[in-house]
Amino acid sequence: MTRNTDTGDDSGDAVADGGVAEGGQRSGFSPIAALNERFGSDFVESSQFWLPPFLLVGLFVYGAIIWNLLISLTDFRGFGTPDYGDLDLQMYSRALADSGFIDAAINTFILLVGFTLVTLALGLGLAILIDRNIRFENTFRTIYLLPMSLSFVVTAQFWAWMFNFNNGVINIVITSLGLGRVDWIGNPDIVLWAVMFALMWQFAGYAMVVFLAGLRAIPNEHYEAAKVDGASTVRMYWRVIIPQLKGSTISASVVLMVFALKAFDFLYSLVGGYRPPNGADILATKMVREAYANLNWAYASAVAITLFLMTLGIVGPYLYYQYNRGNL
Amino acid sequence: MTDQDKRLSRRHFVGATGAATLAGLAGCSGGGDGSDGSDGGDGGGNTLEVLHAWTGGDGARAAEALVSAFDEEYPDVDHEFNPIGGGGNQNLDAVVANRLQNSDPPSSFANWPGPNLQRYEGVLGEVGDVWESEGFEDVMVEEAVDLHQYDGAYRGVPLGSHRLNCLFYNTSVVEEAGVDPDSLTSVSALIDALETVQSETDAIPMTHGASGTWTTTQLFASTMLGQEGYDAYMSFIDGSPDEAAVRATFESLAEILGNYINDDASSIGLTESNQNIIEGNAAFIHQGNWAAGAYRNAEDFAYDEDWGFKTYPGSEGMYMLHFDSFLYPSDNPSPDATEQFMAFVGSEAAQVAFNQYKGSIPTRTDVDMSQFGPYLQETQEDFASADERPPNLQHGLGVPSETMTTLNDVISSEFSGPYNVDAATEGFVDAVSN
Repeated sequence: MTRNTDTGDDSGDAVADGGVAEGGQRSGFSPIAALNERFGSDFVESSQFWLPPFLLVGLFVYGAIIWNLLISLTDFRGFGTPDYGDLDLQMYSRALADSGFIDAAINTFILLVGFTLVTLALGLGLAILIDRNIRFENTFRTIYLLPMSLSFVVTAQFWAWMFNFNNGVINIVITSLGLGRVDWIGNPDIVLWAVMFALMWQFAGYAMVVFLAGLRAIPNEHYEAAKVDGASTVRMYWRVIIPQLKGSTISASVVLMVFALKAFDFLYSLVGGYRPPNGADILATKMVREAYANLNWAYASAVAITLFLMTLGIVGPYLYYQYNRGNL
Repeated sequence: MTDQDKRLSRRHFVGATGAATLAGLAGCSGGGDGSDGSDGGDGGGNTLEVLHAWTGGDGARAAEALVSAFDEEYPDVDHEFNPIGGGGNQNLDAVVANRLQNSDPPSSFANWPGPNLQRYEGVLGEVGDVWESEGFEDVMVEEAVDLHQYDGAYRGVPLGSHRLNCLFYNTSVVEEAGVDPDSLTSVSALIDALETVQSETDAIPMTHGASGTWTTTQLFASTMLGQEGYDAYMSFIDGSPDEAAVRATFESLAEILGNYINDDASSIGLTESNQNIIEGNAAFIHQGNWAAGAYRNAEDFAYDEDWGFKTYPGSEGMYMLHFDSFLYPSDNPSPDATEQFMAFVGSEAAQVAFNQYKGSIPTRTDVDMSQFGPYLQETQEDFASADERPPNLQHGLGVPSETMTTLNDVISSEFSGPYNVDAATEGFVDAVSN
């Protein structure tokens, strides 16, 4: 909150001062002083702290994104150098006409929404259970968080074995319950949900930790006041506690969604290659396949830009929300 | 005064930081460009750097044998053999693509010749001198001579050859079912035999590892060759496919894959699938003859007694060709050493050392096969006496890599269960048509 007003003041000052300064100091013009007046009194002096990271991040992150955008506008493929003289949106129209791309985009979106919602719900459930002053609380917390600490390469291999049609543990359990075997990986209608389930297992612990921190930040008085007013436990959580977890929910969901977009590692490790099982192709795997298997650099860049825009669509509103609340 | 000093020194500091940052950035970009030069210049002047993907099992042992044979022949050449495993050749290809893209080529890398060379357009050098001075044109099979040329120049040297149209079987399982593999001379006879195995035994008639699509694509190639014949297969590869032939092939494939393979095919790869043959859980498997490497390493699993080989039904007298080759990038960091290595790769010493462990056969026709096992000796005889040696579809010799990717996309989306014959036919015909 306070930061927010500060920024407002600063910008106001800068404009006002700038107007005055131009008249007053024209005789002894110095570029450093001018910069200081324009951007704040210690702009130049403080630059030694922010300028190096600013340049490095600017070049290697934003410069690379812009370069990638440029490549996506060329027809660059194979070896050699891209021809920047002839820029058009051909790669994007090709993507829209490519059913593989459309499928991958839809799968990415399903994974994004489905995985995030279910993981949040599960994480919240676990957090509330753990917050009920149970015994062995730390043990449970560690158990739930453990999958998160494992590499995708490891968990994907676990799940590849567990999903095996003949001797995977999941099908063994299902058949012992008297149900038929399910082809988790091979059935294109199921495989995406199977992947989602595995990712959910891995990340529910993370959501739990975020929610647990949120729950611990809520003063005990709120619980007590709800109890005194005669609210049942369910009602108390639903009406009093969960609404206060908005901040945790938003930050957890942003992280989860970004993970969903990057599920490449998991799919790569699941099959040991760039081509996920039919029905589970996502933009990230499609991008790598186009780039390194086909050397279609421009097309892969177009896929990458699409993925980048999707990420921006998620992270952008979050950043704006945080900015409005004065957290940035 | 002190204030002034402080400000001055701070200003200097700022200036110094800025300069340092700029220098750093310049250094980075300079380094980026320069490292190619310096790698090529000092570090790589003489060191031969070879990239390949033989990281495990037979491949690793074969690569080791190749290196020690090289040391014996050329003790003075500094070398560095870097295996890059994972995802078949995928990781190797990605590393090679990146290095070629960044003008930082290795001395040589393992890959397939033929239309596969198209993807390295503009970054491969010529090794015609080596072919000439070593007389490779006279000793290599004719197909090797043709397929290693691109744009009128030799781009690499072959090391060995695998055979693609192979059907392996577990002897005891086929005996139990009462099937005589040698009598299977057509795809329909194979399907009948699979039916017999299914009804007579508990074993899987044909084991298939389809976690990657390549196994199905290569099965398509062998089935088309066996069922529709050499001419139909060749016109498919050459870009004028006969739609009816493609459809008939897919119909047979749908019958095989839909009825006679293991239930967990989609979640296992070649290694696990092949294990079904070794353990006696399955009767047949179609694979390149690298699969036989696993049989040789298995205990108590002998050729002719426990496992057998049959040319893929209908393709008798043909040898579907595969080459493992080393390619020569232009702008080579160690031209002299690489040419020596190229000459070595095509030599009898290298081909014997490597292939006897890899389970493949030499591409030279003048090699003494006495050090090879009986199975490879027979393969070599088939190779030498084959009526036709059609190029493979899935391993670079038949179609360019982009077409191959499209074919695998089609298999992935239309033919990995449920099996959509119409869509797969259309996709394949479109993919190869000129």
